[in-house]
Amino acid sequence: MSAVLEKAPPAERADEQRRSWAAVLALALFEARKLLLRLPVLFMFVLYAAWIGWTMRDAWTTYPALQDVDRATQTGPLLPALAVLLCANQAVLRSRRQDTDRHFDVLVLEPWRRTVAFALSVVPAAALTALLVAAQFTWGVLAPGSVGHGSVGELLVGPLTVLLAGTAGVLLARVVRSPFAAPMLLVLAFFSTLFLGAVPGGSDGSATRWLVPVIGDASSKTLPSDLLGRPAAWHALYLFGLALTLALAAVLVNGGRTKTVAAALVVTVGLGAWGAVGQAAKVSKATTDARVLATLNPAKVQSCARHGNSTYCAFPEWMPRTGTWAKVTDNVQSLAGGTAAEEKLLVRQRVEARYGMDGDGAIEPSTVPYQVTVGTRWGGSRVPEFAAAVSSVLVMGSEKATESLCDGRMVTIMWLALGWQSDPLTQLRAVRLDDGISGSAIVLSPTNPMSMTAEQTTVVRELLAAGQNTVTPKVKAHWAELTAPKVTTAKVAELLGVKAPTGADKCE
Amino acid sequence: MRVTTGLLGQLARPVLRALPRRALGAGAAAGLLLAALPRLTSADFDPRSAMLLLRGSVLAFTLGLTFLLDDPARQVTAAVPTRRMVRTALRTALVAPLAALWWTAVVLLIPAQARPPVGDITLEAAAAALVALAASAAAIRLTDEAEPGQRLAIALLATSMAAALLLPQEWGLFAMPKDKWWAAGHDHWAFVLAGAVLVWAASGPEPVRRRRLKLTPS
Repeated sequence: MSAVLEKAPPAERADEQRRSWAAVLALALFEARKLLLRLPVLFMFVLYAAWIGWTMRDAWTTYPALQDVDRATQTGPLLPALAVLLCANQAVLRSRRQDTDRHFDVLVLEPWRRTVAFALSVVPAAALTALLVAAQFTWGVLAPGSVGHGSVGELLVGPLTVLLAGTAGVLLARVVRSPFAAPMLLVLAFFSTLFLGAVPGGSDGSATRWLVPVIGDASSKTLPSDLLGRPAAWHALYLFGLALTLALAAVLVNGGRTKTVAAALVVTVGLGAWGAVGQAAKVSKATTDARVLATLNPAKVQSCARHGNSTYCAFPEWMPRTGTWAKVTDNVQSLAGGTAAEEKLLVRQRVEARYGMDGDGAIEPSTVPYQVTVGTRWGGSRVPEFAAAVSSVLVMGSEKATESLCDGRMVTIMWLALGWQSDPLTQLRAVRLDDGISGSAIVLSPTNPMSMTAEQTTVVRELLAAGQNTVTPKVKAHWAELTAPKVTTAKVAELLGVKAPTGADKCE
Repeated sequence: MRVTTGLLGQLARPVLRALPRRALGAGAAAGLLLAALPRLTSADFDPRSAMLLLRGSVLAFTLGLTFLLDDPARQVTAAVPTRRMVRTALRTALVAPLAALWWTAVVLLIPAQARPPVGDITLEAAAAALVALAASAAAIRLTDEAEPGQRLAIALLATSMAAALLLPQEWGLFAMPKDKWWAAGHDHWAFVLAGAVLVWAASGPEPVRRRRLKLTPS
């Protein structure tokens, strides 16, 4: 007896489709879990977390600017991105390696839907990266004395790099089915971009410069966030568009030639191209003008606050820091004598912003009497450098006048700058270019450096050893003689009651 | 079974046929391409970028070498009377002259004025290659996998990148020519080479009893 099936069983199209999308999600979740638990991915995420801890270890003492912290989150995610690319690639190739490709023909899930699931499976890795980036940035925000604004565009670069790497791995597995293609191409791409990137290439305005995921800066200075001129949002859009394009291209080459996929591909290519064009634009005229204004005439954009005798003018983002500067100024001034002890100082923050982040430039010393320059950074050796600038202005009258300084007044300057500190010898080391406490050296300050001779160093060291209680009354009593032009170091030492050095002042 | 020259002669052809030629070839080609970049782009460059490219070429070739012991027919060839050590050594011996030839070509591709000290970088390249060989021999020895190549390539790539980032500068493993740590680094490379040789030799013999290291299949 034979039964003839007269008509095909009624197909429940809608129901089947729903089931297959549920299957896509189930596969994506399974693959995501497997990807996150792969040894290389786990290892790289642990390494990345350790890297975050390492880079942020001294955030609590270095007064970070958030517009620097957001960019500092970008290089770390390259570690998990490398592992995610390779492991996503390997996961897609697994069925081929284990020879189970044939079995998929009998499953409800078409091959292209499997590709969708693989592309979706890298999303949790990107989300984990986003979490770590957020943790790193939050650490910077919570650090005492942090100033400025972070940019969402810069923060997105890390997670988007991981997403891009994952989709690139999936696409690569769908295009080249050999197991060695992904590691090989990665090495090739990595080293050739390193080499070609290192050779020439214009730094600013070059359209190709922004095509790689993470773009560093030639300069490491801190600028007000509105002067950076980095197309962060455009770049994030470009990365997002590129990642989606790669994922959809993988679906397309895998047989998902539906109208929806094609339309979505066109949209994402458009997004990526839009971002690429946007980020290739030159720095806008408004930003360039603002840079020139901030460099040459900062008073126009700064706000001022009064603490004690002195006035502090800073870019709006740095206003919370004026109190910290005031403490240093007051301490320095408390050691001074004569009129300098009550002098009304103007502390002005200045930057060299004309070259953006593409180059550095020295800040010219100010010619205005009793105006002190302070930079955008703080913490560490920036504190004694600022103190040296304050004391040099108190002694010499202006920053410009310290250029020609070559006599015993240097001793007074250094005493004022360091005498009030709790660990003056460490600070002396920090403020000197050679990091030593003997011999002649250059003394750094926010503008032009000063020089101190070996004899002056000896006297300063003895003064610091004698301590504030013995030296301060003598400084105040002999202030006029100590700050007289052409006073010798030997004379200063004699006035302050320490052993006078032999040998005349010789400036280098 | 005793190993004779006749036996080796008989084995040479099938082993040569079984070599993962595409992976090795891809690694060699990628390495040559990287080394040829300075001549292709005619960019003027310094010994540092030459060193960078040389390390890139070595890494590419090393990744190819991790596939050397891949044998899809492993479960079948396990039963042949010739010991695995002999077969492994034969595979390595067949590749060695080609590798030497390849390395000569890579070194010659780097323009002479930018070439780092040849002896030192050869030591580095040999150590890297031996690490790959040792890793693949150890994977065959410790797991039951027929083709551990891709997994090893990923592990090697991840490890080398992490090592370049993390290892203290004083170790000098990734020092540049004229760096302070260059000489010390090459002593360390010699240690790496020696360690890799030991691991490679120890992984040669077939285990008497199967003690499988269970790794989750990817």
